[in-house]
Amino acid sequence: MKRTLRRSTLILIFTIAFIIGIGFFTVELVIEAKDWVDQPYNAHISGNGGLEQAGKILDRNGNRLAETIDGERVYNDDEGVRKALLHTVGDNSLNISTAVQSKYRSNLTGYSLIWGLNMPQSMRTSRDITLTVDSETCKTAYNMLQSGFEEPKRGACVVYNYKTGEVICSVSTPGYDPEDPPKITEDNESIYDGVYLDNVLSSTYTPGSIFKIVTAAAAVENIPDLYERTWYCEGVEEIGGHEVHCYDSTAHGDVNIYEAMEHSCNIVFAKLAVELGSEKMNAMAEKMGVNMSFNVDDVKTAKGHYNAPKNDVNVLGWTGVGQGSGEYEDKVNPMQMAIICASVANGGTAVNPSYIKSGTGDILKDIGIKHNKTYNFLSSDTARQVGEIMPEYSIGGLTVRAKTGTAEVNEDKNPNSWFVGYSADSDCPLAFACVVEDSGMGSSYARPVIEAVLSTAAERLRGKM
Amino acid sequence: MFDISVIYDAGVVGLRMVMPLFAIIIVYQCYAAMRRRRRPEKPLVSLYNPRSGGMIPVVFWENSIGRSKSSDIVINDLSVSRNHCVLLRRSAGWFVSDVGSVTGTYVNGVPIHGRAQVLIDDIITIGSTEYRLKRGDDFNSPLRSSRFFSKVSDKPAIQAWKLMFMITLFHLFMAVEAMFWNDGTNVYSPLILFGVMAVVEWGFFSVSYFALRRVNFELEALGLFLTGIGVMMLIRQVERSAYVQLIAMGIGIALYCVIVKFIEDPDRVQKIRIPMMIISCAMLASTIVLGKATNGAANWVYIGSISFQPSEFVKTIFIFVGASPLDKLQTKRNLIEFTIYSAVCVALLALMSDFGTALIFFVTFLLVVFMRSGDIKTVLIPIGAVIAAFFSMRFLAEKISFIGDRFNYVLNRFKAYRHVWDYADVSAGYQQVRVLTYIASGGLFGVGIGNGYFKQYFASESDLVFALVAEEMGVIVAIVLALSVALLMLYARAITTRARSTFYSISACCAAGLLVVQLSLNVFGATDILPLTGVTFPFISAGGSSVISCWGLLAFIKAADERTYSIKR
Repeated sequence: MKRTLRRSTLILIFTIAFIIGIGFFTVELVIEAKDWVDQPYNAHISGNGGLEQAGKILDRNGNRLAETIDGERVYNDDEGVRKALLHTVGDNSLNISTAVQSKYRSNLTGYSLIWGLNMPQSMRTSRDITLTVDSETCKTAYNMLQSGFEEPKRGACVVYNYKTGEVICSVSTPGYDPEDPPKITEDNESIYDGVYLDNVLSSTYTPGSIFKIVTAAAAVENIPDLYERTWYCEGVEEIGGHEVHCYDSTAHGDVNIYEAMEHSCNIVFAKLAVELGSEKMNAMAEKMGVNMSFNVDDVKTAKGHYNAPKNDVNVLGWTGVGQGSGEYEDKVNPMQMAIICASVANGGTAVNPSYIKSGTGDILKDIGIKHNKTYNFLSSDTARQVGEIMPEYSIGGLTVRAKTGTAEVNEDKNPNSWFVGYSADSDCPLAFACVVEDSGMGSSYARPVIEAVLSTAAERLRGKM
Repeated sequence: MFDISVIYDAGVVGLRMVMPLFAIIIVYQCYAAMRRRRRPEKPLVSLYNPRSGGMIPVVFWENSIGRSKSSDIVINDLSVSRNHCVLLRRSAGWFVSDVGSVTGTYVNGVPIHGRAQVLIDDIITIGSTEYRLKRGDDFNSPLRSSRFFSKVSDKPAIQAWKLMFMITLFHLFMAVEAMFWNDGTNVYSPLILFGVMAVVEWGFFSVSYFALRRVNFELEALGLFLTGIGVMMLIRQVERSAYVQLIAMGIGIALYCVIVKFIEDPDRVQKIRIPMMIISCAMLASTIVLGKATNGAANWVYIGSISFQPSEFVKTIFIFVGASPLDKLQTKRNLIEFTIYSAVCVALLALMSDFGTALIFFVTFLLVVFMRSGDIKTVLIPIGAVIAAFFSMRFLAEKISFIGDRFNYVLNRFKAYRHVWDYADVSAGYQQVRVLTYIASGGLFGVGIGNGYFKQYFASESDLVFALVAEEMGVIVAIVLALSVALLMLYARAITTRARSTFYSISACCAAGLLVVQLSLNVFGATDILPLTGVTFPFISAGGSSVISCWGLLAFIKAADERTYSIKR
């Protein structure tokens, strides 16, 4: 009998293992229950479900972006604002997974670990979420992308405060009115292709000349006589056995580093990339977070891509001007470019952006003592020098350092137009990135969008501050 | 204006909040009652050594005697074999059985073969030592008692009828909750179901209390509590299934009573081991021939409109066949017979693609052989064999599509293990992510019986019932119910040495072990803590065969409790 008792210890171990397993599950439940609940198939919150009691969503000035009135979810009164903030706020469905109404639906509907999604009616309190975006600025960006050119453009525009991380403007096109979501059928599929994707966070594009910011940073750090040098540009030059050409093969003549950046001379930057070599170029891209994904309010941004070849000199040159090809093709994400510009603006240190001002149950954030994560990309000296090399613009009373980009894409489409940079004004410290797909020169598409957006933003921010 | 809905709201919420506390009290009371009404820790008989004047207490119903340190009665005498003989008690009195000693065992000077009865004051000669059998009262030093039985407060345990009343009340609360959530049709059907169920429960209690004159009802009460919850969970899902479940509960109770009665004599069971083995193998084999594939596993047999899973019944037989009394355990050390039987069972189940049940059988097999032999090698070798078999099947799966199809489902599940969110909309992770979502949606107190959405999913009432309970009754109740099944093992272990034979100790521990393994696969498989699904939650999952077999297994634990047969009211 004693032996039987001793042997039964094996079975006791199973029971103990079970109890440990239950403990493990309980810990998992407490930590992750919130993420488990926010699922599109969850019948407690899907469809219009759950939004009948959801709290408000407000912009930085307290304007209503979404609110439930008598069980109906209503959005901003202005159709332009509704469409502009579609990807940030979301609609009744959970289709736009990165939107606030999807990510924080359980917050809005009053989820708690204790009550699950079934909090008694009498105990429910509305949980409002306040965002950092300015609805007027977003509307300006949306209108520019939608009707500023010969036809509605696909693209993305993001502006954020590089001191605090507050996102002021974030717009992705194409969009739709959340009060009248389209039925997507075979006929209109192409118009709404990728409509649920927030291009600001979830898309990558070929950077083109805006990548010269990274190449310039590598040159500043590794070439001591950079400022004494001049290059001669004929518009086309053979580098590494194949051609490298400037946009439209325009010859720029004798240029120093400032002029090369101003004219966006591909020859000079391709040569710089070749001189620096793939190792240093890859190291700088890595250091500035090109191959990295940023965590913006629990959404992982699409990863950029930079990988310069060791053996192919011509492709190495092309990667230095933001093109590359095949497995060496450069890719960046709009939010990522804004973050990189923020680091240049802010002495080499970028503050991680956030859309949330308060209301997500993060108490530290609500009382304003939680600061956003920062990334240290560059030394303050390098950041200052790169900033000085970037051309200066004056937009809406702001002193802006920025770079245009005209990224050639392989298909039968027009280039993607880019404009990225920052304002140096201490009362309006904004980093921005804008991309317009299938358009043309950076200066004729993305730049006008940013000019309009920054003017509005400066007016709104300075008026309030 | 006073708003009546506030009271309504408060009432429903209050009820939901009371339920977890109530469940904890019921489970606590069941286990507390298990410790009560025990005989005091004193020897049954004692062995007096006339030469040295020493007195050895005999405390168990079956005692191994030998030189080995792990014997129940250790005799330090070189003429005594390591395992010499077994002193055992049966209803006819005390017996001694030689288990292959070198020098033999003698009663009153006569050498014995097999079992020989010994009476008080008889002389038992073991090796060169003589012992006189004396009454237990002749030994008067105190004995150390195990923790489970010592320090039991003097306060009498809750009376069985009070415990039953609490359980009935819990089921009534469930019925009331279920009445609140409906689409306007069949408002009173939960009450009707409750009424029928209460009749079954109290009928069983009356039979046990008045006809069989048993004092203890806590194990049955726990079984009724769990099974009743399973029945009630079904009322707002598929009403017909609730009644099927209730009928299965009745059959399960009947089987329980039959098994408890049948194994009253542990020696009688030994005679029918071989026929039982053959019957169970035949049942499994017939499933392969007659069985219809339902959702991957071809483990269902249909006779007319009745369908059942033979593999569930074989579980009960498996425990029968595995256990045996102590003297048989020591004379017949050969495990080949049982090993072959187990291998056939597991292979037949694997052929049906019922890998969940096959795994339960395999683990139970390991438990049985370890309980019998105490040799860790007997556990490690089969584990190695199965791992080898798994990989060779995996290799074969690539070559032969017939095996491949069956295996791919299992392999896919392994691939998604701990990454279910990446497989949320394909079969490998579909069920698990929904289980997690709805458990979290229910919170601590649940959304109310019939008010959840998880019931719409396939298998929510069987393999995934943990999530159904957690969503509708709250995660506290779900965990309390799971623990109440897991704790059966602690109970089975606590009464191990008090059982009337090792047949009971081994069968009770293995039955409890089987239930714990099955419970673990069910709960952890659904919640992605283990990479397997497809088994039922003991007692609660919908499925007649499953409920019946759980009651069958519970009978072994009941039989191991010495109070079952010895104490009458």
